[in-house]
Amino acid sequence: MGNKQTTFTEEQLEAYQDCTYFTRKEILRLHSRYRELAPHLVPLDYTNSPDIRVPLTLIVTMPELKENPFRDRIVETFSEDGLGNLSFNDFVDMFSALCETSPRELKTIYAFKIYDFNRDNFICKEDLKKTLNKLTKGDLTSEEVALVCDKAIEEADLDGDSKLSFADFENMISKAPDFLSNFHIRI
Amino acid sequence: MAMEIQRQDSGVWDDSEDNGSPGDRQSLRLRRVSSQVTQKNYPQFSWSVTPTETDREGPRGSQRDIRTLPMPMALKRAVRQVQQMQVPVVSRMDSWKRKKTKVLLKLKDDAMEILSFFTLWNKSLQMIGGNFGGGVQSYFLFLRFLVILNFISFLLIAGFVLIPSIVFSSVGTSFLVLNSTGLENCTKYDPNPQGLVAFYKYLLDVVSGTGFMEYSYLFYGYYNNTVVEDSDFSYNIPLAYVFTAVFYFAFCLICIIARMGTAARVAVATGGSTVSNYSITVFTAWNYGCLGDTATTLQQKNLHYQLQVDLEEERIKKQAAALTSKEKVVLYSVRVLMGFLALGLIIAAFYCIFLATNFSQQKSGTSGIQGLIWDYLPSIVITAANFMVPLLCDQIAVIERYAPSTTVIVALLRAVFLRLVSLGVLLFTLWSQITCDGDTNTGDCKLCQYNHNLYPCWETRIGQEMYKLTLFDLLTNIAVLLLVEFPRRIVVDHWSSKLARWVGRQEFEVPLNVLGLVYGQTVVWTGALFCPLLPAINTIKFIILFYCKKATLFHNCRPAQKTFRSTTSSFFFLMVLLFGWSLATLVLIYSLSEIQPSLGCGPFSFFPSMWSVVANTFYKLPTVTREFLFFIGSQAFSIPLFVLSCVVMCYFAALFSVHGKNVALLRAQLKLEGRDKQFLVKQIVELSRRLQTLHHSAGEEESI
Repeated sequence: MGNKQTTFTEEQLEAYQDCTYFTRKEILRLHSRYRELAPHLVPLDYTNSPDIRVPLTLIVTMPELKENPFRDRIVETFSEDGLGNLSFNDFVDMFSALCETSPRELKTIYAFKIYDFNRDNFICKEDLKKTLNKLTKGDLTSEEVALVCDKAIEEADLDGDSKLSFADFENMISKAPDFLSNFHIRI
Repeated sequence: MAMEIQRQDSGVWDDSEDNGSPGDRQSLRLRRVSSQVTQKNYPQFSWSVTPTETDREGPRGSQRDIRTLPMPMALKRAVRQVQQMQVPVVSRMDSWKRKKTKVLLKLKDDAMEILSFFTLWNKSLQMIGGNFGGGVQSYFLFLRFLVILNFISFLLIAGFVLIPSIVFSSVGTSFLVLNSTGLENCTKYDPNPQGLVAFYKYLLDVVSGTGFMEYSYLFYGYYNNTVVEDSDFSYNIPLAYVFTAVFYFAFCLICIIARMGTAARVAVATGGSTVSNYSITVFTAWNYGCLGDTATTLQQKNLHYQLQVDLEEERIKKQAAALTSKEKVVLYSVRVLMGFLALGLIIAAFYCIFLATNFSQQKSGTSGIQGLIWDYLPSIVITAANFMVPLLCDQIAVIERYAPSTTVIVALLRAVFLRLVSLGVLLFTLWSQITCDGDTNTGDCKLCQYNHNLYPCWETRIGQEMYKLTLFDLLTNIAVLLLVEFPRRIVVDHWSSKLARWVGRQEFEVPLNVLGLVYGQTVVWTGALFCPLLPAINTIKFIILFYCKKATLFHNCRPAQKTFRSTTSSFFFLMVLLFGWSLATLVLIYSLSEIQPSLGCGPFSFFPSMWSVVANTFYKLPTVTREFLFFIGSQAFSIPLFVLSCVVMCYFAALFSVHGKNVALLRAQLKLEGRDKQFLVKQIVELSRRLQTLHHSAGEEESI
């Protein structure tokens, strides 16, 4: 049983359980996954909350993230410093927001942050182009890319400033039936 | 849940923004900088949560609030600490209630975890979804739903009909009352084989349900009208038989509608449009849970293809809109002509099935392999028709030139029509033979009200037909697997020629496979009254089918080039299943009420119809119950009930339209607010520019 574990204090585990969508067992499992990314860097004993960060290059080697075209953006969004170096808190945060029981509103907020490449709180045409290129790995011709971006902005933009604010994005996502099941990483 | 923040002086943030040193240990401040939470867009957190709010939401409620906050972990923990410090002093009763709710919720979470461990085939379905996408996964989910439905139906039937029959066969009394003489011919029924039977005959009997299989618990003819009446316990087998059949149908209907409800809710909430939607495709089409190198490349190809198809449809629509009226007339007349051609093909197929069934009935009784072929002739013709006609309809669709999504729907509807109504033709042929074309007072049917020469026990005969259809369906599927799909893959993989590359690997056709499932299930529903163990056989058949289809999927198929939208499609599958169910219900109602049951076999001999058992028992009920049931069936009750349900429906329809109008209003308001924002921003820019020029000119004046 998990009572013998010395990785976290009871208080810490309670806090994690209340702040994320994970159970006790899953949090301990997450810690072991976090540790195997950089065993020499991450200590086994987290009772005094050490401030350790695993760099981006190691995080994106995880099998759940390796093949995702947005892996860099995902990790950057959840990192404190914005450069993709995750502490354990950020690590747990990331997988909690992307898990199955996480609600639609939360996922929409983070999806917006992920697709906003230049972090200006708007998804402009450049952001869209980058998203599309990452999705299709450059298979579409540039005219097709421009056409799709124009059409996408035309469909979703409500306030007519030819870029998507969070309100536009949220409205568009609410009409997507597959969003919840697709925006989900199982760990 | 939105709470207002008292904004800290932003001067502090601006400083750190300018420096932007990421390695700073003052994490709180930096988090504000880097995650750039726009104060206008996200729900803010108020540090002054009132105690009443936490009280109302309960212990877990307020904690759920923390989990949904889009903040980094350390901030969430700070919030949690504040909330915990603010827990008000409550009575012992309240705190006990809270603890109890907490424990119950935790128990519920644990129970859900254990249950998900027991769900059938969970891992396989995940693998299929990850590798082949949602469309193929929806087929396998549908198959799993049918397996569970059939299994529970089997438990129902076993519990109420099969086991009591076995137990009471030695105990109860069965009455063999001959109301009038002259009916001795009708009761002659001897299915047991005479004398020595060759071994291969046993095999033939298993496959066609005759011989030793005919007079067994498998078919209707074996059950007796046993009635057990003890002092404190009574069990009426005929009554149980009828009620179980009716309840089985009602249960299946409830399950299907419940499942449709969830699918419909999603479809309605999201607008349910099958029209291409670029923004949704770009932002939500990528499956983040997809693992593995090959699966990812496939997803990319899929998406690329989907976008190309959408662009193509757009182009076709523009082209279609640009047609001159003369070209339009030509196109529409071609479509009408092709529609008639397709209909003609389907009707020709029906006629062939009718002929085949008649021929098979005439030749029934021939022994050996030839007899087996004649027996299976209707099934063979139905399968051949279901194979050929969709192929021809595909060619017709090329000439019709509908948009791609319309073509898929039209092809599906034609295939559904063909499959289910060909079953109807088979049943019709059987009916016309059993009841001498509906006129039960002519020729062979005069004596017993049904054709006792041809069918001494007609229910068993129908049961046998359905049994044969089920078995043949399974054998066809396995044969196609072994003889077509595996060899095709071997040929394509090892023989590198242009032809092989053009043919390519098999694609998993979701719609046609689903139609096969619906057809199989409809056959089972039709035959369940006459062959009570058919749901059990169907459960085993579907389990075998699951593993076979999974094997062929992973070994022989490449992922579909055209994606099949999974959410709207599960609703469509259930609609088609419902259509099959209603066909089977018609058969059930007709058999229960109209046709004279066989006099030589089964639990309903000597009743004028199967439903009359219920009527007879009804009159034996105590007076009060009888009066109550009469009242429910009478007009005094049903008309007010009908009026009341109309009123309720009108209320809901009004509510629905009001909500729809609300949504449209709010959307317009969003637009307006966006424009207001833009206007105000422009004003601010304008004003600040003017201020700057004023300062400039003031500065110049001073220097001058």
